[in-house]
Amino acid sequence: MKRDLISMHDLTAEDIQVYLDTAARVETISLKDRFQLLQGKIMASLFFEASTRTRLSFESAMYRLGGSVIGFAEQAATSVSKGESFSDTIHTVENYSDVIVIRHPREGTSRHAAQISYLPVINAGDGTNQHPTQTLLDLYTIIRNFQKIEGLRIAFVGDLKYSRTVHSLLQALIKFRVNEFMLVSPDSLRLPEYLKRVETDLPVTFVETKDLEDAIPYADIIYMTRIQRERFPDQIEYEKVKDAFCLNAGMLKKAPEQLKVLHPLPRVNEIAPDVDETPHAEYFRQAKNGLIMRQAILLNVFEVTI
Amino acid sequence: MSDNKIQMIPKIRSGIVIDHIPAGDGVHILEILERDPALKNVPITFGMNYQSNKLGAKDMLKIQKDDLCERTIQHISLVSPGVTIKRIRNFEVVEKVFVQPPKEMVNLLRCLNPGCITQNEPGLKTRFILTDPKKNLVTCVYCEREFSIHELSPIV
Ligand SMILES: [Zn+2]
Repeated sequence: MKRDLISMHDLTAEDIQVYLDTAARVETISLKDRFQLLQGKIMASLFFEASTRTRLSFESAMYRLGGSVIGFAEQAATSVSKGESFSDTIHTVENYSDVIVIRHPREGTSRHAAQISYLPVINAGDGTNQHPTQTLLDLYTIIRNFQKIEGLRIAFVGDLKYSRTVHSLLQALIKFRVNEFMLVSPDSLRLPEYLKRVETDLPVTFVETKDLEDAIPYADIIYMTRIQRERFPDQIEYEKVKDAFCLNAGMLKKAPEQLKVLHPLPRVNEIAPDVDETPHAEYFRQAKNGLIMRQAILLNVFEVTI
Repeated sequence: MSDNKIQMIPKIRSGIVIDHIPAGDGVHILEILERDPALKNVPITFGMNYQSNKLGAKDMLKIQKDDLCERTIQHISLVSPGVTIKRIRNFEVVEKVFVQPPKEMVNLLRCLNPGCITQNEPGLKTRFILTDPKKNLVTCVYCEREFSIHELSPIV
């Protein structure tokens, strides 16, 4: 059976652990040896909407493993814009490649592609639904720093209502038996209630606050997100809250030594540049971990064991 | 069946009786029956607000046709889970089934999410999984959103 990666909901903690272990092993292999692993394989990189970081990370991962890449970076450049159906595009690309990576503005597109194609499909983001490679790289960043996930104290900050990254990571962390979260957000962007109804044997506690300073002495990990202006119908409301969820180096003076700050990037102003110089900044390394994790995912797709 | 019910809605020699419909749901089931092309010229009797020990008040439908297609039965199970479908031959009940929503619903319901691929790719069949049978919640296999069955309109 082909190995797709479509949604975190399809993965058990054991499945996720396989990706995490593979990523750790990828780091121990020299670039020269890694370059032998996917020689002769072609990845189709189909970005129906632009997402430069994700695309470059996937393409770099494939090149690092010795494979090649074909594809497009936005829909405007393709026959899709001339009215070709999605399924025709997939069936055409199947002839040219060994794995398909899809980014698409509509929810469920990657699932659809995986059903109609005999090639493995990797979801690089389907609308507001899933972005499993982001969640896997976030988990890898956490385990790389703390050598464990269970029992960590994690604070999510910013737009907790709409952030798919937060929702997906939170659900995955619960699978790893994290049972306490701090949620820092303005009232209008609080975590939806349905995400707090967790059905596990382990009770999960959510501590909600509007004060970012509460999270600093508390957390092992602060996961920052961007608060987008367009989420606020009232612009005055946005102006009032936007700075309250920005982290700077001064605030981190009270931080425990092990605290790490994560952010899916790109950031705007929610993390001040002076945080970059502190030992707590982990977000650039997080982006590099994305490259490692995507290599692990590609190796898993091609069933290459390392 | 008690005598006063027989007076109000005549017995049928053979056909289908949909019984134990919670009062008010009968109209919705009637809408489904109207959309079934196989029932186009079939006489259907509709009764509302009968007394019922179990439900307090119930609706009932009698269809003068020997069977209902699977798809129509599935649609009924989505609109009003728990109703009884009885098959009548010579005024006798020969078969009785309690309809429950299926675990997986293929192309029976339309996804409410305008961004869902099923709303935008011609020919793609919708698929829902019954994720909470008690609350009648279903999840779209594609966009992974959860809905109450009653929020979603049937595909005809
Ligand atoms: Zn959907």
